[in-house]
Amino acid sequence: MRGADALLDALRDRGVEVVFGYPGGAIMPLYDALLGSGIRHVLMRHEQAAAFAADGYARVTGRPGVCIATSGPGATNLVTGIANAFLDSVPLVAITGQVATPLMGTDAFQEVDIFGITLPIVKHSYIVRHVEELPRVMHEAWDIAASGRPGPVLIDLPKNIAAGAAHGAARVHQPRPAPARADEALLARAAGMIARAERPVIYAGGGIGIGRAIHAFRQFVAETAIPVVSTLKGLGAIPTDEPLFLGMLGMHGTRAANSAVQQADLLVAVGARFDDRATGKLDGFAPGAQVIHLDVDAAEIDKLRRAELALVGDLAASLAALGRRPRIGAWRRHCLRLKAQYAFRYDAPGDGIYAPELLRRLSVAADGEATITCDVGQHQMWVAQHCLIRRPERHLSSGGLGAMGYGLPAAIGAQLADPARTAIAVSGDGSIMFNIQELATLRRYNLPVRVLLIDNQSLGMVRQWQELFFERRFSEVDLSDNPDFAAVARSFGIDAMTVDSAAQVDAAVDALLHHAGPLFVHCRIDPAANVWPLVPPGHTNATMLEGNML
Amino acid sequence: MSRTIEVSLARAEGAIVRTLGLIERRGFIVESVTTRSDVHAEALVLRVEVVSRGRPLDVLVRQILRHFDVRHAFLVEPQAAGQRLVC
Repeated sequence: MRGADALLDALRDRGVEVVFGYPGGAIMPLYDALLGSGIRHVLMRHEQAAAFAADGYARVTGRPGVCIATSGPGATNLVTGIANAFLDSVPLVAITGQVATPLMGTDAFQEVDIFGITLPIVKHSYIVRHVEELPRVMHEAWDIAASGRPGPVLIDLPKNIAAGAAHGAARVHQPRPAPARADEALLARAAGMIARAERPVIYAGGGIGIGRAIHAFRQFVAETAIPVVSTLKGLGAIPTDEPLFLGMLGMHGTRAANSAVQQADLLVAVGARFDDRATGKLDGFAPGAQVIHLDVDAAEIDKLRRAELALVGDLAASLAALGRRPRIGAWRRHCLRLKAQYAFRYDAPGDGIYAPELLRRLSVAADGEATITCDVGQHQMWVAQHCLIRRPERHLSSGGLGAMGYGLPAAIGAQLADPARTAIAVSGDGSIMFNIQELATLRRYNLPVRVLLIDNQSLGMVRQWQELFFERRFSEVDLSDNPDFAAVARSFGIDAMTVDSAAQVDAAVDALLHHAGPLFVHCRIDPAANVWPLVPPGHTNATMLEGNML
Repeated sequence: MSRTIEVSLARAEGAIVRTLGLIERRGFIVESVTTRSDVHAEALVLRVEVVSRGRPLDVLVRQILRHFDVRHAFLVEPQAAGQRLVC
């Protein structure tokens, strides 16, 4: 048995069925071992896409995704994907080939110190120096990636180690203990604070989905009947059409959500990290609120906002101890009035396509059951604001890193993770070009991923900020020389259509949900369309700009 | 004002760099570093004198503790080395 075989054995032991990657010189022993291994390898067309696909796979399944690349440029191409997984707490095992150990440190062909390069963006990492270490390293990496607050783990695998004989390799495996429930006395205090609160708000973060605490969270909401706001990654912790859900908070949040938080006397933060996009100007965030902070990661407590009470531990277990309904009828009615008063409108003038309306209709037609992935920019915020999202793992968005190019490969991972569920990649004309080569992957594996490209012929979010905050001095945002995207898709063998009028929206929605096989819908919108509302940079969430629907 | 953090690390490749890198990346200034082996030579004990730019040191200690190679970490009380304030 070679080292590479031992590594794949360990992956099979963990139930791995699919890995994403791209071969090359230093990783060839592993690719040789993949033949006949029983593990399905999905050949992506760029290593970054392999990492994003593994990320999407992991977010849907809740189990680590695995990506593989060769040394040097293959490894460095993974870096953005690894950083994405780190910032969004996604369990990922990245395996990189490395030059043979005698050559390491000699500037050999395709040698880079990927271990050193990725130190700040991994939960842990290994250079495997001895073949007998491989099973232990692989199992340990899996446990580290998946346990507690998940994250990426890198295994740098020198070529001679992968090819070396692994006689008698021990399969040492000691699972890490599951996170415990928070301290009982603190839970009792928290329950008391909730029961006494007059204007409480629940601030739901991505940790709820990551921690598979959705059922417990929804029970907590049902028992307390406290209004809920969420972060970008918290969307779907409760269905976004639930009456108590006030919307996303923060820079592109709803007025109802931001107003409620600013008026709250108690903020129950569940698996959230007080990210700057959510809080706005931090010292003016929820100025009258005490904070109860529930998180599995102790290092998030007091990092940005001091918590009056911290509950560190398993979210589901802690939430189960907190369900005491406060007497907040008037406050609840006030929040629901805000929600009704500031509800989004969809009666945009003109004959063009209003992207928020298209996205709303698409997600409603899918009854919130499709997996929607996003790229980064205006369309990403429109998806967050307007789509019906029933569970966090059906909304895959690069939240922390904000990596353009995430959407299409993530949809590939999502489709393979849950083949029966429709996967829709919503992209922009800037973002799609970052990983458009993955249309070849759709074709090769005939994956029925649907791509909805919202094309405003510009880098829309940057253009919007230049319009609002840089005196309309537009710098390098014009993309009016875009290719004919539908023709590009067809050249990859993907069926495609272009739509540009409101009258075509029904047909586009129908095609996106019912077309057999992969589909690319190119949707032209007004280049001047902006995302509203908007909290200007440097302001608190009490300041929200509004503009016209286009 | 500088404070000292003591970190006990497994003898694993990258453990020291990972710890020092985190400290600087989180916005703290490293003033001095000393290392020694523990009594059984199974771990490295790192003493790092850091200056905060206003960020809480107890949060930094918890961030260090997230590392897989870290056995323990704590803030050393000023003029009373070895006593734990936070762990």
